[in-house]
This record gives sequence, C-alpha cells and structure tokens, in this order.
Amino acid sequence: MKGTNVGIEAGTVIVLRDGLPALSTSAPSPTRKSVLNDVCIRNLTKFFGSFKAINNLSLNVKHGEIYGLLGPNGAGKTTVIKILGGLLRASLGEAYVLGSKVPNLNVVSRVGYMPQELALYRGVTVHQNIAFYGKIFGLSKRQIEAREKELLKLVELEAARDLLVDQLSGGMQHRASLACALLHQPNLLFLDEPTVGVDPDLRASFWSYFEKLRDAGVTMLITTHYMDEARHCDRIGFMREGRIIAEGSPRELLELTHTESLEDAFSTYAKSEGSQ
Amino acid sequence: MKPARLFAVTTRVLQDLRNDRRQLALIFVAPLLVITIFGVTFTGDVKDVRVVVVNGDMAAGSNSLSNKVISNFDAGVLNVVYANTEGDGVAQIQNGSASAVIVFPSHFTQSVAARAAGQTSVAQENVTIKLLADKSSPNVSNAIIAAVNSAVAQTIASQGRQPPAAVDSSNAVYGANAQFIDFFAPGIISVAVWQLTTLLTLISFVGERTSGTLLRLLSSPLKEGELVAGYAVAFGIIGTVQSAVLLAAAVILFNVTIVGDVLLAFVVIALLAVVSEGLGILLSSVARREAQAVQFLPFIILPAFLLSGVFWPIQAIPTWLRPVSYLLPTTYAVEAVRSVILRGWGLDKIYPDVVALVIFASVFLALATISLRRRA
Repeated sequence: MKGTNVGIEAGTVIVLRDGLPALSTSAPSPTRKSVLNDVCIRNLTKFFGSFKAINNLSLNVKHGEIYGLLGPNGAGKTTVIKILGGLLRASLGEAYVLGSKVPNLNVVSRVGYMPQELALYRGVTVHQNIAFYGKIFGLSKRQIEAREKELLKLVELEAARDLLVDQLSGGMQHRASLACALLHQPNLLFLDEPTVGVDPDLRASFWSYFEKLRDAGVTMLITTHYMDEARHCDRIGFMREGRIIAEGSPRELLELTHTESLEDAFSTYAKSEGSQ
Repeated sequence: MKPARLFAVTTRVLQDLRNDRRQLALIFVAPLLVITIFGVTFTGDVKDVRVVVVNGDMAAGSNSLSNKVISNFDAGVLNVVYANTEGDGVAQIQNGSASAVIVFPSHFTQSVAARAAGQTSVAQENVTIKLLADKSSPNVSNAIIAAVNSAVAQTIASQGRQPPAAVDSSNAVYGANAQFIDFFAPGIISVAVWQLTTLLTLISFVGERTSGTLLRLLSSPLKEGELVAGYAVAFGIIGTVQSAVLLAAAVILFNVTIVGDVLLAFVVIALLAVVSEGLGILLSSVARREAQAVQFLPFIILPAFLLSGVFWPIQAIPTWLRPVSYLLPTTYAVEAVRSVILRGWGLDKIYPDVVALVIFASVFLALATISLRRRA
C-alpha cells in the first residue's frame, strides 16, 4: 500500500491551490504538498436532459481536510460526488481527483466511496462483504484479514462479523458500509450523506472517526443536509441549485453572516441569492 | 480481465445463493415440480375410455367378425358397454357418460367375407364400422380411433388375409422406445434453466442498481466485463447443477432414456445459462424496481415454452412464426440437448446449435457490459 500522502509522482499533473492544473517535473516538496488540492473542480456543469443539475461549479478540496458539501435535497451534492467518483461524466468543465482528470480508472484504487445507499450485499455476512470488496480492490488475503480486524474494531462490529447484513440494525449496516469504504486505505474519501438515518450517538461517533482519519492524513469530501453536523468540517461549501453559494470555514461563515447557526447562515446566503 | 476480481464476483453470487433458502428452492424445487407435473400429465396416455358398441352384426357368437374386432380392442384404452341402437349410444355421449359410439352394420361379417372373396357388388356401408366420437376432446377421440383401427387391422391379419399395402414402422433410427416425456424432458430442462437464470440475474442486477453496490463497484478497479463474466461463471455453474438435478429426476421418476453424452448436454445448458445471464443484466437496465422486473416474466417464459420446440417441434409451428423461433436462443439449446440425450449426437453434429448459442452469448454479454458502463 502507498502511504497516506497524495502520492503524486514526478511528471504527473498536479493541481495547485488556484485550481488550475499545472505540470510538475519535480518531486513534490513538503511545502508544496500543503497547497495541493486532492479535488479540483473547474466550471463544472451537468445536464440531465434539459435539467441543469450542476451549474458552473468550481471547488477545491485541500489535501488533509474535511470539506463539507451542504445543501438541501436536490441541490446537486450527489451528482458532484458521482462525477468525482467517475460514475457520471461532466457535461461541461472538468474535475481532477488526486491530480488526474476524472473519469480515470487509475485513481479509483486510492479513492474510497460510500454511496448514499447502503451498498452492501444483504444476503451475505459482514465478513463476506468485506472479503468481496477487499478482493475487488486487489488486497491479499492477509491484508483483508488485517484490515477487517482493524475496521470492525473501529466501527464496533466485531461481534457482528458473521451475521448477515440483513440481520443487522440500520445503524450497524451503516457502520459496515463505512468499513467497506475504508478497506483499501484510500487517500481520499467521498462520503455521500454518511449519516442519513443514523441515530445521534452513532453520528457523533462517525464524526469522531472522520476526524481521526483526517488526522491520519485522509482527505474527505462529505455531503450532508444536516446543517449542525457541518461544524465538524474544516471547510464548508453551501450548495443550492447546482451552485456553491458560499464557501469558508464554519466560523468564517457564521461571522460573515452574523448568525448563530449554520442553518441560519445558509438561509442568509440563500435569501441573498434569491434576491439577486 | 483479472481472474481474482472475476472469481470474487462468482464467489459472492454463490455465497448469496447459499444463504438464501427461498432462492435455492426457486432454483431446484420449482423446476422439479414443473417436470413432475408435466411428466405426470403428459405421460398419462388416454386410458379407460367408455365407448358404446352397437353391434348390429347378424352373425352371432365368437365367430362373428364384429366380436373378433371387439375382442381385439385394447382393454386398457377402451371400456366397452353395449347399446341396442345408435340413438341410445349417442344419448350416452350427450349425457357425458361415454366418449364414442361404435356401430357395426347388420351384414358386417357376411359382407366382409364376400368382399374378401372378390365380390365387387358389396356395398361400402356394409363393411364400414361407423365411429361417432366426441371430437371436442381430440386427445381422447384420437386414442379411440387409433384403438379401433388397430383392432380392425389385427383382426384382418389374424384371418390370414394380407392387406393390399402395408407400412412397417416398428424399427427406428433414433428413440426406438421414446415416450412423449423423452421428447419434452430435454426441452423442459433447457427452458427451466433459461427462465430461472434470466429471472435471477434480472433481480440480482436490479438489486445491484438500487442498493448502491453497483455504484461502489463501478467506482472501484473492477471492470464491467469482470462483473459480467463473474456472474456468467456463477450462473453457468448454477445452470449445470440445476440441469443435473432435473435430468436425474427425469431418469428416476419417468425413466427417461439417455443415449448420448450427458456432459455435452450440460455444456450446452451452461452456455444457455450464460446467454440468459446477459439477457437478465440487459433487462435490469430497463427495470427500476423488482416489481417492474417481474413484469418481464411472461415475455421470458411464454415464447421460450411455446416457440422453441419444447412440446412440439419447430416443424409444427406455422411457417410465418418460425423466424421468431429462430430468434430464441432456447430453440438451439432445446434442439441440441434433445439431440444429445435422445439421439446420442456428438459435438460434430450439434455444432451449428452450439455456434448459434456462442453467438447469442457473445452478443448478449457484450451488450450487458455496455449497459453497465459507468459515466453516463
């Protein structure tokens, strides 16, 4: 396995903070790494038929940060994640993941994706799911065993290892799904509404996992429509009707809008958008 | 293609199946039930049919030709009762207690003897046995007609008279002792595998699409082709085991004769299972929910059952409809499996069918792979 770093090699496209891809022929230096963007979206537009799901959206996710994409249902959050995961093609504009323009099969093994849906096989056990996804990501039997032990401990499912996914509670299923997304030690995680339908206690423990992962150097792009959760993110993008209407750290957004909660901050921006 | 990833898919599909008793039942019990029901109903020859004999033959006793014919009736098929007039007999058909009336003319013995002796003046009606059957049930009436004809032929032969011309069909090139079930068992087995594989992949892939697993897979290093091939291997195995169970049942329960190489038949069926798998995946791209998927069922089952030569050969299908038969992969599988099992044909003779199935498999798998393509 590669380390938790971006792993950009000499001669590949790297992406600078301003979001423009630039060609680097030298190995990245530590100072440079700190300004690298693991995700870079430039003027992205996505049509479904005549419906514009994403409208000229640009955003960067820096290496090692938790970026929260916040917005109501239908704002286009999932579409952004699907384009980054290589599941949908952009209509206009471009997106770079770990320095490669997506869709690109070469980056998928360094990216973890937890879809909004459970994305587990319900008719087989937690262990069988983990073993399956492990093999798909090319892990050896020993690697799978080691990762399984580690992850089941992390998500507190050690006792449920040999239960069918169908026999688990909703919260346990969510934790198992997260374990599968983390299996191959991705450098970058796309988590699409990871806390929907998860009870408050478990949500809190999810966020503490995410913070732990970030501290270990994993970059995360998380979508949520729970505004209060977003305070755990390093930076937030408020999303509405396919566009980012405001971006900044939770504190910045509260200060700029003179509001007490991110929900109020979002409404402030949404209103000013609407009045324009 | 990476075999490790492909077989990971295969293993997962088989594990899923092993854990799901209902699906296992669907795979093995349902076709067993089907073959048993068909076997029991269709091997049941027509038996014990009540027929009314009106014997007007004036020659009496066991020497009369009419009584000889009657004594030659197959007692298993015809249950003879007597009546005095044709009208009484017809009345019994009308009240449902009999299926035919057999009337011997009054000068039967005498007229037949005269005609045999060369008298040309004998009226045709005097040598004709009149058979009035309830033809609304063709199976039954055909059995009666056949039984009466054969009794007449037998009687004439026993009189030492030679018919002017004869047909000898007692020897056969293939299927000397074949019953109807020998004919349709290979068809039922093929069509059962076809239906269940299509249905199971259809439902599995609707599940893959709705549960998010497909999203996870398509954002992983797994290639679409590996996913399709992994499923194909799994369903090839399942189809083979399924057909083995069905064939064993056919042999044990209905004494179906196997002349040829069973393994070759299994290869053909596994190939058909792969075709069905491709079709299932393709259909899953048009069905959004399992409920929609199930609506495809009649379109999968009926044409295969009716038009691919399971119960009656392609030759018995109207010419204008035959192109449809040739568009069904099951037509080739049924023909090949039947030829192997019943005629003992080898690959050297069934290869056109096998080639057709390989073409179907390639096209369906390619289309299935394309239908899964990420990045819409």
